Amino acid sequence: MIVEISHFLSILSTALFFLAGSFALTLKNTTYISNLISRTYSHAFLLLSLSFFIYIFLAITDNFSVQYIANHSNSALPVFYKISSIWSAHEGSMFLWIFFLALWGFIFNISIYNEETLKPKTIGIISLVLVGFLLFLLITSNPFVTILPIAPLNGADINPVLQDPALAIHPPTLYLGYVGFVIPFACSLAFLINNDPAIKWEILVQKWSVAAWIFLTVGITLGSWWAYYELGWGGYWFWDPVENVALMPWLAATAFLHSLSVSIKSSHLRTWTILLSITVFSLSLFGAFIVRSGIIDSVHSFANDPQRGLYLLAFISVIILISLSLFISRLSLIGTPNNIKTLSKESFISINNIFFGTLIFSIMLGVIYPLIYEYLYDQKISVGAPFYNAIFIPIVILAAIFLFFSIDSKWSRVINLKFFSKPISLSILFSLAVTLLIFINIEKVSIFILCSIFAGLLIIFRYLIEIWNAFAYKKYLNPFSAIAHFALGLLLVSISLNSLLSSERALNIKINEFEQYKDLKIYFTDLGVNKGSNYDSVQAKFYIEDQNGNSFNLNPEKRRYFTRGQITTETAIYVSPIRDVYLTIGDQLEDGSWIVNIQINFLIRWIWFSACLMALAGVVLILSKRKV
Amino acid sequence: MNPIRKKRLSSILFVFLFSVSGVSLILYSLNSNLDYFFTPTELKKVQMPPNKRIKIGGMVLEDSVKRNTSKISFTITDYENSVIVVFEGIVPDLFKEGSGVVALGYLDNEIFYAKEVLAKHDENYMPPNLDIKQ
Amino acid sequence: MKILLKLIIIFLPISFILMFFILLSEDKQFPGADYREFDLPAFSLQNLGGTKIIKNIDLKGDSIINVWASWCITCRVEHPYLMSLNKKGIPVIGINYKDDRNNAVDWLSKFGDPYELIIHDYKGSLALDMGVTGAPETFLVNNGKIVAHYQGEINTTIWNKVFAPIIDEKDMFK
Repeated sequence: MIVEISHFLSILSTALFFLAGSFALTLKNTTYISNLISRTYSHAFLLLSLSFFIYIFLAITDNFSVQYIANHSNSALPVFYKISSIWSAHEGSMFLWIFFLALWGFIFNISIYNEETLKPKTIGIISLVLVGFLLFLLITSNPFVTILPIAPLNGADINPVLQDPALAIHPPTLYLGYVGFVIPFACSLAFLINNDPAIKWEILVQKWSVAAWIFLTVGITLGSWWAYYELGWGGYWFWDPVENVALMPWLAATAFLHSLSVSIKSSHLRTWTILLSITVFSLSLFGAFIVRSGIIDSVHSFANDPQRGLYLLAFISVIILISLSLFISRLSLIGTPNNIKTLSKESFISINNIFFGTLIFSIMLGVIYPLIYEYLYDQKISVGAPFYNAIFIPIVILAAIFLFFSIDSKWSRVINLKFFSKPISLSILFSLAVTLLIFINIEKVSIFILCSIFAGLLIIFRYLIEIWNAFAYKKYLNPFSAIAHFALGLLLVSISLNSLLSSERALNIKINEFEQYKDLKIYFTDLGVNKGSNYDSVQAKFYIEDQNGNSFNLNPEKRRYFTRGQITTETAIYVSPIRDVYLTIGDQLEDGSWIVNIQINFLIRWIWFSACLMALAGVVLILSKRKV
Repeated sequence: MNPIRKKRLSSILFVFLFSVSGVSLILYSLNSNLDYFFTPTELKKVQMPPNKRIKIGGMVLEDSVKRNTSKISFTITDYENSVIVVFEGIVPDLFKEGSGVVALGYLDNEIFYAKEVLAKHDENYMPPNLDIKQ
Repeated sequence: MKILLKLIIIFLPISFILMFFILLSEDKQFPGADYREFDLPAFSLQNLGGTKIIKNIDLKGDSIINVWASWCITCRVEHPYLMSLNKKGIPVIGINYKDDRNNAVDWLSKFGDPYELIIHDYKGSLALDMGVTGAPETFLVNNGKIVAHYQGEINTTIWNKVFAPIIDEKDMFK
């Protein structure tokens, strides 16, 4: 009964969203209409959120008459995971996705005055996007389907790999990021429809876009961190198609934010900014399509159903084609005031847009090329890390060097950039020294890795000098840009050093014996059998000593979950700022010894720290009162 | 041709050449970094250059998994042909006899040396193992 | 220049979209379906009641073999469809897969029993020989020979798209 109420509420909200959308696009923009649209939207959102919260309530109270909940939850689960089970598969996660989309619109709706010219159309476009997705949810992937008259007594349990706090919050964060870009998208379309180049839509959406970008950054980082400690492979990035479709909107969004700041400061690149706002949202939708159509095999992809794929593709194509044709028809109206001056900040950001564009295009190729190839030649191929490394490393190094020289550039001004000013030569000197030190101390260094370390160090030292100048001489420093770019330098250096220094090996150890790996002595002290609330486990106990006499215990586990009999590996990780020691246990051999995989991962924490620092830079921008 | 047109033409030409060379560079590196995927039967049919990185997929044959020291060897089969795989390291959690597997590595003398082994799994589709006792 | 730009902006997404439409409409529509023909493997297992031994020669003629278990939620979902098959007079044979006997009997008494015969495959050995990787899975048997195999829930759509063409072609269930 309750589930029908929830179902009905979501249908009702679809109708209301449709009303709000059609008001916005058909009626003349008056104060009365503006208020009307705003209220209709708020009411529709209220109904939708009510429906969503009822659904959460159903999951918490173990209502297994709902097929989706029966398939993905279990009465033995803690409440936290009962809730997160909602987004563990297609239907429920789509519901969450839509709810978040509506939520962004709602917050925008209540925090922007109704007098804002672009608001009614923005809200209207968001509503229409919502209608499309709600229809998709209700028609092709209805989460409200029930198993009646007799409901199962218990659910099927969610995949134990997914029973993890990081994973419970990783999809919501990522979704918040993806759908947040509906605000700049809708606003830019509203701007195009309104046809008045004097309106500065860019200022209106800047903080919203940065907020969505923060969520996307944190979401991707969380996913990387989860894969590292949970999947037991020890890597932080796998170039999996689903990771790639999250990275593409992130790159586009980063390019968009750069372009946006140019448009705000100097009215240049306004066409680019609009095109990028459409691109970011289209790539987010494309991500949803890839993950949900089953067109690509991946660890993350949901069960496939061709009908779903076709509906999504059709709807996404409508959105993309309408917005692009609108963009093209209004292209001449926006216009640029004058040419961009060489070596001004704008020129550097334009070059940066080209770099981002190339990266996005290459990832896109890497994702779809296997599909085309299989279609044409009936031969399965996959594109792995070597391709992406070959593209990313040179471009990122080049982009970093451009960034390094752009720091002194000024908005709309040709200033005589001194390529060998004091800060520049100082940072080149420092970076060279450190890179040389690395080169001497480590055997077998690839030239590319050295270059990327050098490029990363350039940025770090350059910004350290800027920060010093800001404090000592009160020189102006844009905190957002400084933190974000400093984090980029840090990210480059830590990724390079990580790939340079990290190593792994599979060892066989018997109980009470030890093995030596690099500078570590690994003692296998004990093996215990534990019982958890819904699993059995074998836990191995290791005592590890390094050459400096530091010692620590690591207890990796293998778990077998009752409901599905699935086996999972619980890694044990010794965390320190410089390196992680990462242990997983495998199987027992006939002679009684165990296979133990040991990895030493250098600076891996710094990779995530840099990503978080970037997100922090976004927070700084949102909190700052100054226009940036 | 007047100078403005000339300038415009040269800029178009520049952009065109630049993007064509960029795209062809990307395509070139894409083509040289592909991993081809084969089933054991397909593998029998093609001539494979040694040390070419490929992926093979199929089912793990019953009773074929052997472990010695840190190496594990097993047979991947598609129930028509099969390939012996040698792998050093820990196989994934979902790896077991009679289940789907994908291995990345290279073929040498009819033996496949895997660098990575991935087990296939379907979220909705997992039989329970009844003998939970160790 | 502008026209060129406009063309690229429109052409690029359209070609991507078209490509995806082509890829999606390709015939990999039912990834769970498999049409390899093979003979039923030799087996000898008890029925669910434990009252008699069933051998592969007992499964002559045309039938549907359905692999199910009481722990499987999707089996619960496809169960009404199996009941309707049974009503249509199509013989459905069950393989109770890695399941506790009592749970399975309870399950059937609660929801109804669409099966003509149930093989209790506690260890999953028969299922393994047949290439089963989970539950539910369904086989189409023509004269003791397996002619189609579907992994996952069966329903009217799957029946019409995956099984019906073969049933017509081989003129089964007459």
